[in-house]
Formats: sequence, C-alpha cells, structure tokens
Amino acid sequence: MTSPTAVRLAGFTVVALALWFLPTLQGPLDFPIFYLLFGYTLLFWFAQASSWNMFTGYSGYFSFGQGAFFGVGVYTTGVLAAKRGWPLIAAIPVAGILAAVLGLSLGFVVFRLRRLQGEIFALVTLAVAFVVAAIARVSSTIDGGSGIALNDVRLPDFLGTFPSMMFRLGLIIAVLTVFAAATIQRSRLGWGLFSINDDEAVAESLGVPTFRHKMMAFGMSAFFAGLSGAVHAIQISYITIEDVFSIRIPLFVIVMSVLGGMRHWMGPIVGATIIHTLTDRLNRAGDLDLFGGSLTVSLDHLNDIIIGLLLIVMVLAVKDGLWPRLVKRKWAAAGAFLFGLLVARIWAPEMSPIGQFVAGELGAVVVLLPPVAVIDRWRNRRESSKTPDEPTGRPTVGATP
Amino acid sequence: MTLYGQAIISGVLVGGLYAMMSLGVSLSWGVLKIINLAYFSFILLAGYGSYELAANHGWDPFLTVLAVVPVVVIVGALLQLFFEKVKIGEFESLLVTFGLLIMLESVARSIWTADFRRIPSTANPYASSSLRIGAFAFPTPQLSAFLTAIVIGLLMKYLLDRTYFGKAVRALAQDRDMARAFGVDHRRVAVLLSGLAAATAAIAGVFIAMSQALFPGLAVEWFGIVFPVVILGGLGSTLGALGAGVVIGVVAAIASVTWGPSYAPLATFVILIATLLFRPEGLFTRKASV
Repeated sequence: MTSPTAVRLAGFTVVALALWFLPTLQGPLDFPIFYLLFGYTLLFWFAQASSWNMFTGYSGYFSFGQGAFFGVGVYTTGVLAAKRGWPLIAAIPVAGILAAVLGLSLGFVVFRLRRLQGEIFALVTLAVAFVVAAIARVSSTIDGGSGIALNDVRLPDFLGTFPSMMFRLGLIIAVLTVFAAATIQRSRLGWGLFSINDDEAVAESLGVPTFRHKMMAFGMSAFFAGLSGAVHAIQISYITIEDVFSIRIPLFVIVMSVLGGMRHWMGPIVGATIIHTLTDRLNRAGDLDLFGGSLTVSLDHLNDIIIGLLLIVMVLAVKDGLWPRLVKRKWAAAGAFLFGLLVARIWAPEMSPIGQFVAGELGAVVVLLPPVAVIDRWRNRRESSKTPDEPTGRPTVGATP
Repeated sequence: MTLYGQAIISGVLVGGLYAMMSLGVSLSWGVLKIINLAYFSFILLAGYGSYELAANHGWDPFLTVLAVVPVVVIVGALLQLFFEKVKIGEFESLLVTFGLLIMLESVARSIWTADFRRIPSTANPYASSSLRIGAFAFPTPQLSAFLTAIVIGLLMKYLLDRTYFGKAVRALAQDRDMARAFGVDHRRVAVLLSGLAAATAAIAGVFIAMSQALFPGLAVEWFGIVFPVVILGGLGSTLGALGAGVVIGVVAAIASVTWGPSYAPLATFVILIATLLFRPEGLFTRKASV
C-alpha cells in the first residue's frame, strides 16, 4: 500500500475530490461564476501542456503537432455530438482514440528514419496540423468549410450547471493526464524516454526499445490531447477550421512547458499557471496609452510579443525551466510571492484576485530567474569578501547547474 | 487539356517562387545546422514593406526590391551574428526562431492589421498583365519570379561550386570542426551565407506582394509548402530546392485543378511523407549527402 504509485494515486485522488466540490461551494461562498470558467480554462491548459510534455519533454523529440491532436478532438465532438447526436460523454473517448491513431501513424513513418529523425519529426508535426485542417475543410462530413455550431449537444447534465459541468469535465481530464504524466516519469517507460533524450544511440545499444517507447509515449500524448480537445469544443461552442487549427495551441503548450521545465511533470503545471493568468490579465487590460495618448499599444498584440520573447529568453538562458529552481529556492520564491501579493493589495486594492495573484507570481519569477551561478557568486562574496575571481573563468551567462 | 496545360505552366512558374522561399531554410539547416523559421517572417515583412512602398508611396513594385532587400539582408546577418554569439544548437534554434516568428507576426498584425492587404491595381499594373503564347498565359509576376529564381539558383550554384567562399561553405556542411581546423572562419561564412539567404527570402516576399493579398497568418501557412520543398530538394542543395519547388508547384496545381484548391496541401503532404519513407535524403541529392 505504500508503493510510490499508490501514494501518488492517493494524492491525486484527494486533490481531485477537493476540487470536485468547488462548484458546489460556489453558492455558499458566493464567488463569481467567472472563476469556474477561468478554472476550467486553466485545467484545459494543464491537460494540453502535460499531454505534450509527456512525450516531448521526456524524450526530447520536439512535436509541433499538438494543434492537430487537439483539432481531431474538437472535430470529433463536432461531428459525432453535434451532427450525429451522440451524447458528449460518448464522443470524448472516441476523440482520444482517433487522435492517438493519428499520432501513431505519424510516429510510424518518422520514427523509422535513421538520420535527422528529431529534426524531421519536428517539421512533419509542424506540417501535419495544416494537412488535417485541409482534410477537414474539404470533407463535408467533417466541416466542409462552414464551421459547426455545438448548441444542441447532449451534455452530461448530472455534472451540474454549465460552468460546473465544464469545470468538472476539465478536472477529470486534467487529473487523468497529469497523473499519467507523473506515472510515466517514474516508470520504466519514463526512464527509457529520458535515456533517449540523453543519447538515443547509447540507449538503443543498451537495449532500450526506443521505437516502441517513442510510439507508446507519442500515442498517449496524442490520446490525452484529443480527450482535452473534445471537451474544449463545448467551450468554443462554434468551431471553425481557422480557429481550431491555428498555431496557438502548439505555441502555448511549448512556451508553458519550456517555462515550467520539461523534465518533471510539475513543469507544465507551473508554466501553464503563469502563462494563463498572465495572458488573461493582459487580454482584459485593453489598450495601453503611452506618452499621453500619442501612442496606443494594444495589449492583445503585446501578449504574443511577450510570449515569443519569453520563449527565446527561456531557451537561451533558463534551459531547465523554473521548476528545478523552484524546488531549490522555494522559501525565497514563496516570500517574493507574498511580497508581490501584498504590494498589489496595498497599491491597487481594487485589483481582482487574479491580478493580485499575477503580481505575486511575477515576484516569484523574478526571484527564480537569476541563474544559479549568479546566486552562488553573490553568496560567496558575502561569505568571504576576499574570494579571488577565477582568472580563467568564462562569463557565466545562462549557466545552468 | 488546356486546363491541365495551364495548370502545369502555373505550377512550374510558382515553383520558382517556392524555391526562393525555401532556399534560406534549406541552406541554413543544411550548412549552418540552424533551423531558421525566421525566414518565414522575413518573407512576410519584405512583402509588407513592398506593399507599403508600392501602395502608399507610389513605387513601382519591381523597384521596391532595392529598398526591401538591403534591410532584410542586414536583419538576417545580424540574427546570424546573434546565433554565433550565443553558440546556438540545432533544437534551440528551432525554438528561438519560432518565438521570433510569433513576435514578428504579431508586429505585422499590429501595424497592418489582420485584414487582407493587396497593392491596388492602379499601383501594380503587373498583377493583371501576362504574356500569352497560344492558348496559354504566363502571368507577369509569376513569370518574372520564376526567371529570377533560375538566375538566383544558377548564381548560387556557381558561388557554391566554383568560388573559395563556396568551398568554405561546403567544408562547413561536411564537417564543421575539421573545416575550422583548416582555417575556415565559421562566423564570417555563416553571416555572409545568411545574408544571401535573407536576400532570396526578401525577393520572394516582393514577388508575393506583387501577385497576391497579404495577411499575417500567411507566414505560418507557408510551412506546408516550404518543408516539403526543403526535404524533397535535399538539405542545403540549391538546384534541389529549385527542382523540388517545381515538382511541388506542379503537383499542387494539378491537384487543385482535378479535385479543387483545398486538396493542394494534401497532395504536397503526401509527397512529403512519401519522400520521408522512400528517399529521406531528398530526390535531387546523391545518397548520404544529408
């Protein structure tokens, strides 16, 4: 009963049960329903980022194909639930299976290449979303180019009102996905994937079944992405090819995972929390007037620029992501979080709780960003002021432990 | 039959454009080991620059090349200098340039909005003019893009095969460390080559602005064309890119005439998958040169 898997299962069950009753508490606690939908979207990103990371983060094979798997999920709901009248609950597993089939057939082609496998994998997955989009656009059984309205879908009413139901569905899928990611990380499959990440040739010669491991992990990753997409179709409510297969899904899951850290299942969770709260606030902030109104910057556009910049900075300077640093500097980060929260409370008391949370979050990120080398140097200087500088030391820009 | 003849002609012509769009990615990947998605945004921004000059400042669309190309070349060379400075790896380059692509696309969106932008026909007499031979039409923008692509392809071929610079490039592509040991200045070659590749991308952008409407999402849509061309042509191969561009162009054109325009990306993807399955080193290169 005390095996690590059992402990993890218990932990996840407790968290899931606690969150399950959050919608029930909405009445008594009287918090705005908006928070339930906000929570759903956050859970959606947990599921998307974790499903992407359980293959790419562990194995190092870069997939841009998340949009395709998400899109297959969305359109499965669109076709089966909206056009054919299936109940949503029945469409969701089918969506996962279809997405997994797509992932496995892609993997079957690319994972057999002998050279440049990783690079070609990345580019083929980049192209595949457009192809799936093209098929959906052409085929009138899927979309035919006009989009699908999901007003009449038979929703699982026993899960409560619409916001409660969405929150609970999102919760189930997020918990399943994150649990799978955490379990893979600690399993033989996970070790195999990490060894592929480190050196695939060596892994293969040591007897790691690389092809099978990659297929299994990629298939699962696609499966969960499809499940999550199937639920999200209801949230979108009117699905069009341009929106569903845009570059946003792959972009966001990549930035979230890179930001949080890709070698631990908590990485995508941390990254998704930061990115989702931050972009949500920026989207709601509207336009920003600079220089007394002579220059108006739409924060919506700024959003993409921040996301792109964040990706560049993280890849170049913080390769391991925030999670390993958060583990090492948890007290400093917690202190900075509280500090940011308090500053926001005092300076801008009218700010929404999410805004205050973002302020605290930014405080914590500031503490986490300086590389270990800088902290060490600063610490050494404090401990012994006469520490000589290494004469041959290279500049430690972007050094990682 | 005329329909198919015309489809083949426009496919061949647009293939030249595809080749110019792909050359940057192919050279940078094959020689410098940097997968540079920023070339897509260079093409897009060059197109918008050309649009701006032609539509709002009365430039002849062809002459905008003179203004657009130097700017993009400088940006491309600076970007490569930055990569050399941070000693970027292959996968990191993919991610970093992806971030850059998103940023530049967003910049384009905030300047020119997400609407379609097209040089008005009064400022762009070439869009509707064409050379007619018998029953077939050769639209001026596509025809000139094709001829330019051939000239660029041959020039590049000459540069890479016959000059000292080309020798250095080929040496780098084969074995970077060994080339360095023999005194090839990696940084200089890389910056020069990136400048050339950026120039090709900029020229492609000008021709695109001349022949179609622009919108920021185009940059991402081009993935589906450029990657098949790069893989089919073989990494780092100039004439390969030209040949592959024509193949992809013709197949896409025939597919859209036969089944409808939406089938074009499907056809190119099938080619991509088939190439990966049966000839991963590309159609136009000898085996083992990847």
